[in-house]
Amino acid sequence: MTTKDKTDIIDIGLRNLESDIIRFISQEIREIILSIRADRLRFIEEIRLRADKPLMLHNYLDDWFIDKRGNLTKEIEDLYFVKQDEINKTLELMSGNSIYAYQEEIKSGYLTLKGGHRVGVTGKAVLDGEYIKNIKDISGLNIRISREICGCANNLMTYILKNREEVFNTLIISPPQCGKTTMLRDIARSVSDGIEEFSFKGIKVGIVDERSEIAACHKGVAQNKVGVRTDVLDGCPKALGMVIMLRSMSPKVIVTDEIGNQGDKDAVMRVINAGIKIISTAHGYNISELKSRQEVLSLINEKVFERYIVLSNHDGPGTLEEVVDGTTMRVIFKRQ
Amino acid sequence: MIIKIIGSILVFSASSFLGYVLSKDCTRRPFELRMLQSQLQIFENEIAFLSNLLADAFKKVYRSSNCSVSVFFIETEQKLIQNIGLNASEAWESAVRENLKKTSLNKEDEEILVSFGKLLGNSDVEGQIKNIRLTLSQLKLQEQKAEEFKKKNEKMFKTLGVLGGLAIVIILM
Repeated sequence: MTTKDKTDIIDIGLRNLESDIIRFISQEIREIILSIRADRLRFIEEIRLRADKPLMLHNYLDDWFIDKRGNLTKEIEDLYFVKQDEINKTLELMSGNSIYAYQEEIKSGYLTLKGGHRVGVTGKAVLDGEYIKNIKDISGLNIRISREICGCANNLMTYILKNREEVFNTLIISPPQCGKTTMLRDIARSVSDGIEEFSFKGIKVGIVDERSEIAACHKGVAQNKVGVRTDVLDGCPKALGMVIMLRSMSPKVIVTDEIGNQGDKDAVMRVINAGIKIISTAHGYNISELKSRQEVLSLINEKVFERYIVLSNHDGPGTLEEVVDGTTMRVIFKRQ
Repeated sequence: MIIKIIGSILVFSASSFLGYVLSKDCTRRPFELRMLQSQLQIFENEIAFLSNLLADAFKKVYRSSNCSVSVFFIETEQKLIQNIGLNASEAWESAVRENLKKTSLNKEDEEILVSFGKLLGNSDVEGQIKNIRLTLSQLKLQEQKAEEFKKKNEKMFKTLGVLGGLAIVIILM
């Protein structure tokens, strides 16, 4: 991906930044963020609100404090401190005054805004036996800006396509903030729409979107481009969702984010045994690190995945680090 | 003489009209209370089963039935959309207070509705349902009272209007 492409693409995201995110932030902070110079907002990745701590912003370079005039700075002077009230107000606005509708999400520590932007929530957990009933006294919000970058997975596709009508079972491995979900979304789109370059005709894709991040559904309709032959099951737990997809939508490929929880393996095996391909992601820096996780390790040992694709942040998010053939563990590509 | 006759006709018709309006109010109030209850039921379904956002739920409630009390719902929705700084309880309260005059509801009903708004949106589904149920039972009581009041007074207002008008005319003649 060239730098020019990147600027073009991210500008499109910037226009949505205000309507999707900034308008839901409480008044005073909203004004400060709007006074930040537009070019500074360009590569923004996270906005962080912590009670009684300075307002912070992350872009792909580094993290920054924001002072009262909207300048990004490293100095600890004249900073804007976030009040807990403002965090509560922000959460209220983000949930459309309907906390009840987001209860399940808040319990798991996040909520998803229209546009697929995920907001992490911390505070004091209210327990009901072993389970979290609610999170109260919200003390921190982490607003992660999700970006749709069409074509970002183009140079990956050669490793994923098996022949004209099939793909490999693929696992994308990457640390947080390296464009895992963005990649996955673009792969889903390409596989579903078909790719002329490889004379690959589009095939049916089923997306199980547990956290509404891949397709960014709003009222059930995908807001992101996920392809014409794609069905999306929104907000459904992965293991359940994969089985539902399998039974009812006859997909050729199932796409899902962040596998590795209890029960995921069984669902993945059912999918594979039904002759359906799977493309998924996992948190991690490399393959050997993944092996420390039981659920993923057994998937690796069973040689479920035919391709491992490792991403990193080396040359900006989405840098292709290496590609490994899952059956022989031979390295197909390695970044020089 | 003619002026006298015209005057008496005026007095008579005004008083009859007043009686008619009052008796009409008597019948409208129980009807509106019933409508409110059925709308709250729809609202409960919207949030408990469909888990819709407040503004969407209110819009659907408004669309599902068209009567004088649905104005509360659509006004709240409008306020929430237009003024992003407002929270649900503030929007609902001002919508109720501003539009109460368009309905036949009284002060007591108003307070019940306003207190319903206090918990609107800011708890889990169970909390919301409890709040709706509580309001429903209070409205049910109000409806019963209104119904009794209607039985007692509906005819009375009408006859009082007509007869009172007549009496004034006779005395002044």
